Amino acid sequence: MNQDLWVALFIIAAGTYLLRVIPLIWMQRKLIQHEKKGSVKPPPDWLTVLGPTMISAMFGASLVPAHPTFAAWVATALGMLATLAVWFRTRSMGLPTLTGVFVFGVIIVLFG
Amino acid sequence: MTTATSQDMLSPWKQGVKDALPLFGGYIPVAISFGLISVQSGFGVLETILISLFIYAGASQFLFVAMVASGAPMSLVVIMTLLINARHIVYAPNIAPYLGKDRRWLFLMHGLTDQLFALSLARLPQIAKADRIAWYTCTAMLAWFSWVAGTAIGAIAGDEITQRWPVINDVLPFALPALFLVLVAPRCNNRLWTLTLGASAVLALSLRLVGYPNLAIPVAALSGAVVFYALQTGKARGKTV
Repeated sequence: MNQDLWVALFIIAAGTYLLRVIPLIWMQRKLIQHEKKGSVKPPPDWLTVLGPTMISAMFGASLVPAHPTFAAWVATALGMLATLAVWFRTRSMGLPTLTGVFVFGVIIVLFG
Repeated sequence: MTTATSQDMLSPWKQGVKDALPLFGGYIPVAISFGLISVQSGFGVLETILISLFIYAGASQFLFVAMVASGAPMSLVVIMTLLINARHIVYAPNIAPYLGKDRRWLFLMHGLTDQLFALSLARLPQIAKADRIAWYTCTAMLAWFSWVAGTAIGAIAGDEITQRWPVINDVLPFALPALFLVLVAPRCNNRLWTLTLGASAVLALSLRLVGYPNLAIPVAALSGAVVFYALQTGKARGKTV
């Protein structure tokens, strides 16, 4: 890697870290200010909406299979249904995820 | 997004390991792919590992390697990768009320990826205040380790692995959408949130399908927020009429 690439890598790494940490510092200061005033202020409304919509968007984007064949789409649909069904029963994270991967995997191996 | 109460919790370290397991399934195959593509694009093994170690943001790493390999100007490479990562801005403020003032959190923010944010937003409220940093440290370190280790494996032996066990590449990444579903589902407990989250998921899926993978998440998330406020305003007007 030439020197320009190392500089670019450093800027991107530092920039990405700052994108993650500066909003935390900003929010922590806001929370401390409100604490001093004796009020407990939650994060701004728009942020509490944008957080879950971000996760939902990641969910939607991650649904597209690496090789989007008919079998992969069927496997995705059934894997999701299995995940949801186990989640309804257990209300946990691990087992539903594992079941979803298993169902998806079985269909891909058999028909993919 | 609650799925369990604090009484059901294991110790924060054990819980961290348990919660990080689905991330392994999603991270390792993608990291192997990244390692392989990076080496094929002309980067060395050590360079590839350093990219994963320090940038630690999947989509932007792929873009970085692809743009450099295509000979794009370095300034454009930096701008584009940082633009993709700009979505991270909204993550920390959402979880800040659960973090407290410990300065170690500042260093731990390096590990705040998309998936860890989603996991943290669901899990942190359920964990006792004193245990949160231990849980986050454990989960974030394991996720980071799996990403870097996967990259190393991909850079060193990715070609052989993907040829010998294609199932790793084809099946394990499904852990991520399954995990996201489990994180989104508890929030869909009323019509407003179900429609909002459904709209952003469908839009992200559609954008990804029509060839805008990098725009899909920020645009769909913002559109979901617009849907939320539109529905809320409509509901408020309905009540006043």
